Amino acid sequence: MSERVVVVGAGMVGHRFVDELVRADRTGRFAVELIGAEEYEPYNRILLSEVLAGRADLRALGLPLPDADRVRFRRGVAVDAIDPVAQEVLLSDGTRSAYDHLVLATGAQAFVPPLPGLEDDPKHVHVLRTLDDTRNIAARAMNAKHAVVLGGGLLGLEAACGLRRRGVPVTVVDLDSHVMATQLDAPAARVLTAQLRSLGIDVVTGTSVAEVVSAYGEIVAVRLTDERLLAADLMLVSCGIRAEAGLASGAGLVTDRGIVVDEDLRTSDPRVFAIGDCAEPPSGMTGLLAPGWAQADALVSVLLERDELDPDAVADDRADPVKLKAVGVDLVTMGVRPSQARDDDRVLTVSDGGGNRHADLVVRGGELVGVTCLGFPEVSAALTLAYDRRTPLPADPLALLVPASAGGGVEATPSPMRMPGSTTVCRCTGVTKKQIVNAWEDGATSADAIAGATRATTGCGGCKEVVCGLVDWLNASDPGAGAAGGPAAVDTPVTSRNMTVDSTT
Amino acid sequence: MTATHCPYCALQCAMTLTPSQEGVSVTPRAFPTSKGGLCQKGWTSAAVLNLPDRITQPLVRSQAGVLEPTTWEHALAFVAARVTAIQDAHGPDSIGVFGGGGLTNEKAYQLGKFTRTVLRTKHIDYNGRFCMSSAAAASNRAFGIDRGMPFRVTDLAATDAVLLLGSNVADTMPPFVQHLAGVRERGGLIVVDPRRSATAALTDAATAGEAGIHLQPLPGTDQTLLLGLLHLVVAEGLADDDYLAARVTGWDEVRRSVALWWPERVAATTGVPEAQLRRTVALLAAASPARGGRGAMILSGRGSEQHSDGTDTVTAAINLALALGLPGRPASGYGCLTGQGNGQGGREHGQKSDQLPGYRMIDDPAARAHVAAVWGVDPESLPGKGVPAVQLLRKLGTDVKALFVHGSNVVVSAPDASAVRRRMEALDLLVVCDFVPSETAQLADVVLPVTQWAEEEGTMTNLEGRVLRRRKALDPPGEARSELQILADLAAALGSPVRFDTEPATVFDELARASAGGKADYSGLSHAILDAEDAETGHFWPVLPGSTGTPRLFARRFAHPDGKARMVAVSPGAPADDLRRDAPVYLVTGRVLAQYQSGAQTRRVADLNAVAPAAFVELHPHLAKLHQIDDGEDVAVTSVRGTAIARARITSSIRPDTVFMPFHWPGDGMANAITNDACDPISGMPEFKVCAVSVGRADLVASISAGSTTDEGVHV
Repeated sequence: MSERVVVVGAGMVGHRFVDELVRADRTGRFAVELIGAEEYEPYNRILLSEVLAGRADLRALGLPLPDADRVRFRRGVAVDAIDPVAQEVLLSDGTRSAYDHLVLATGAQAFVPPLPGLEDDPKHVHVLRTLDDTRNIAARAMNAKHAVVLGGGLLGLEAACGLRRRGVPVTVVDLDSHVMATQLDAPAARVLTAQLRSLGIDVVTGTSVAEVVSAYGEIVAVRLTDERLLAADLMLVSCGIRAEAGLASGAGLVTDRGIVVDEDLRTSDPRVFAIGDCAEPPSGMTGLLAPGWAQADALVSVLLERDELDPDAVADDRADPVKLKAVGVDLVTMGVRPSQARDDDRVLTVSDGGGNRHADLVVRGGELVGVTCLGFPEVSAALTLAYDRRTPLPADPLALLVPASAGGGVEATPSPMRMPGSTTVCRCTGVTKKQIVNAWEDGATSADAIAGATRATTGCGGCKEVVCGLVDWLNASDPGAGAAGGPAAVDTPVTSRNMTVDSTT
Repeated sequence: MTATHCPYCALQCAMTLTPSQEGVSVTPRAFPTSKGGLCQKGWTSAAVLNLPDRITQPLVRSQAGVLEPTTWEHALAFVAARVTAIQDAHGPDSIGVFGGGGLTNEKAYQLGKFTRTVLRTKHIDYNGRFCMSSAAAASNRAFGIDRGMPFRVTDLAATDAVLLLGSNVADTMPPFVQHLAGVRERGGLIVVDPRRSATAALTDAATAGEAGIHLQPLPGTDQTLLLGLLHLVVAEGLADDDYLAARVTGWDEVRRSVALWWPERVAATTGVPEAQLRRTVALLAAASPARGGRGAMILSGRGSEQHSDGTDTVTAAINLALALGLPGRPASGYGCLTGQGNGQGGREHGQKSDQLPGYRMIDDPAARAHVAAVWGVDPESLPGKGVPAVQLLRKLGTDVKALFVHGSNVVVSAPDASAVRRRMEALDLLVVCDFVPSETAQLADVVLPVTQWAEEEGTMTNLEGRVLRRRKALDPPGEARSELQILADLAAALGSPVRFDTEPATVFDELARASAGGKADYSGLSHAILDAEDAETGHFWPVLPGSTGTPRLFARRFAHPDGKARMVAVSPGAPADDLRRDAPVYLVTGRVLAQYQSGAQTRRVADLNAVAPAAFVELHPHLAKLHQIDDGEDVAVTSVRGTAIARARITSSIRPDTVFMPFHWPGDGMANAITNDACDPISGMPEFKVCAVSVGRADLVASISAGSTTDEGVHV
């Protein structure tokens, strides 16, 4: 009889776990049940801010459905309680499901601070956590005249940019002294703030919302702690998340900020595991997707009693990159930032406020251990790769901020006169300028005649223009043609670089 | 004057051979595919006909271990006796056959027939496994048929966008570039390559009318890139829903499968900036006929295919094409750019381990019955499925005691080639048919001299599935013989009652009958029909009797029984030999313009060696500076399988985390001493295009390794 695995939560981590477990369990050892409280099919929550910004069609969010032959997927059903003694979960539809292994992937909820004025639950105050939240905010944005986003973290800024893109004037309010304080030092944040302002997003820092003011049950303004009053007919609260640990604590499992788990992702009940945003492993909570996925994969190994994948693999204790998804802002941060650097780290900073650019690179022992990269869209992906894959760095790390292929392309065709004789003119047939000049001297005074004599231009034809140019130059310099006294300076010295079309010689 | 085609690549440029003092001289000939072009390889191809070291007599290894000339009678009798003894002792499957994608259709057909009816071994495969197999597997899965390009090469002229995946046509088939002129003019050329290759440079505004796009991903991330492009097609509402509903199955699953490949994640995995991803999708969508464009094509080459997830990578490319509604539409679709001269025909007529002529599957009882009837044998007598090339090579010296090699130089061209050489040396019998003493021929017990292109009649099938005539211009030198003759003689020497014709036209007629009703149906063709052809029309298979062929496939239906294309959800795999602290750089391999494949032919041509004399290592200035390597210095490139040493060529046209080596040379600079023989599980194609290496100055690496040899070998 197969072992029953019940997974609570069909979010991105629960979904990944089920997918990987079914894939890895080739013998059908486990019978899997996936329970999701939302009515919707599993979707990619990461992209909700893209939907809000009007940049992603809802159809781009639907995740692969669990294999119906292997997984019993129940959606729109919540788990009300766990009975750890009976090893059962109690569902909102009144049924029970028995488990041998219970996996809690209940995620997190948006944290809403207890602000005065919110107790009446005024309309048009939202969090951004679910598809329904997104739809409601987008619907309101059509009529909103001014939006306030409380919280200048990653999601708050993405949402602010999204709302701005929908034409809504936005003010971001952040209690910290600067935006994205979790990821950015003040200098980088200053450039980011300027960039946001240039997009029409106002940023107010070092203050918070003291009160939500409403009229007729709808928000009309917020009063800040510095007594300023901001008109607001849409408010988005983006003050971080709180692990959804109620189900676990109700069952007597040990919880703290989240459901406390050991390195094997096991809770205080050895039959129960927790992964993703709801779990609090020894390494701490991040609120990011990548560690949740890694936990999902690790739990599959635990359940299958697999050895750790590759003992030689580099243990990845690095913080995952964080990328801001917004039109007009290219920001990615990862690892150590300058204020966290050690004395022997190499810290390179380029700050170009006028150009809305700022970059910090932290290099430790020849490896890139930290990047803050704002406004360098051509290199931000390459930097992420260098950090993630630990590829060799250039001797001068500053070179990382210049696209690596800069200057590597084919340069403009030099004038025929300045081209050295050894330059390959026709790559396809390996014909040099000198050979063409020699052929001309032997009487081949048209491009067709040159082709007949040397084969130049007979491959892809791409050098036809250059050959015609050469012939024109030769003919012009000696209209008599073919005489030995033609342009002798075949090897004219050049000051610019040679034509570099030939990569095969 | 003889009208024929070039001996090298799958573009099969048309040429005219004229008798001359040296033998023949070559001139290009007007033809729709090559448009009167030839590259330097084609121009100099006649030099290979009368090489000083051309093999003109059969050679048998003497007691002293030297290959010595002998008579055909003795050589064939020797081979027959050894084969009989080995099969008596170890059974029919102890003999292996390794064919080539350069053989004519007639030879490829006859080789498969000889293997199945005379040797009766299941162990046959060919070097096309290294070239076309992943694209073939993906096309069969998606479309139910595998014809590299399901449209004409000349259709490229009309299209608005071409996405070229891992193909360096400007070096590998230069005259093809003429067909890109229109799309370059319109700014529609998109090239995916970790290097700014000559082809990638064609996207420059300086050389094109409008700038195209060069996407320069981390090696091994092509599939991720394609999934990211498809994600954007969905996210931006650009999918062709009507087409998908009417002509495709599996869209819902595929659409969901790309939900997790959003642009930021793809950019961080591939290193390709998000803006380039978005621009690529916008360009392809605008070019697609469903949105009013003139057409968009997605073409793949070995760079994207030679990976352990190559079949799935091509599938991702096909899925993208289907989502945009391209296959079967005018000037649109997916195609694979076949590499070897007869890479297309070579895979249709029985060299593949699991196939019979006409692209029939060897485990299909109806296919066995049909082909056995043409061959006059009992279907029960035909062997079953063999194994793909790399697995076959791994069996040498153990399960497989003897090997016949035709038109392939495996000890240079196979992955992990040093290991292949060791296994070859462990064989009881190695018989090589070749016209030059290639590195593989030099290991042989018996070398049989064969004819080459200008000395024989036959047919080749080019990258479009167009069947072309190869024609004889001069007699072969010395005692060189056609493989058709050799196989017939060997069959007789082995006492087989099966009939083996030796006239190419007659063999073709038999091939046509054997292929009748198969997917690659040649039954409406003969040498006489092909000789009367109008080049503008051409003959594209399938060609049924009375028809002129099928230039464009899929206009109304795909080749699956339900007429629909099948989308299959795929997910990327990591390179089998991935980056580590002690191997922090990727090696990619490829070709240069003036050499071809293992170089057995082109390394013997002085004009080509003048341009491309030796192997080299392309590396970025950042990497070079880190290791204090100057341009032109010897660089050691080391993987867990071996080291290659070649000159540094420092260029910012390559990614800083990647080095490139061409694979045409044996010896110290042999790239395939380093490459990995891990294979795609579906196609059996090896992962030539990515493995983890370390690099260093050769002098330093040599001195370090001399001092630190451990029990496990040299650690660098």
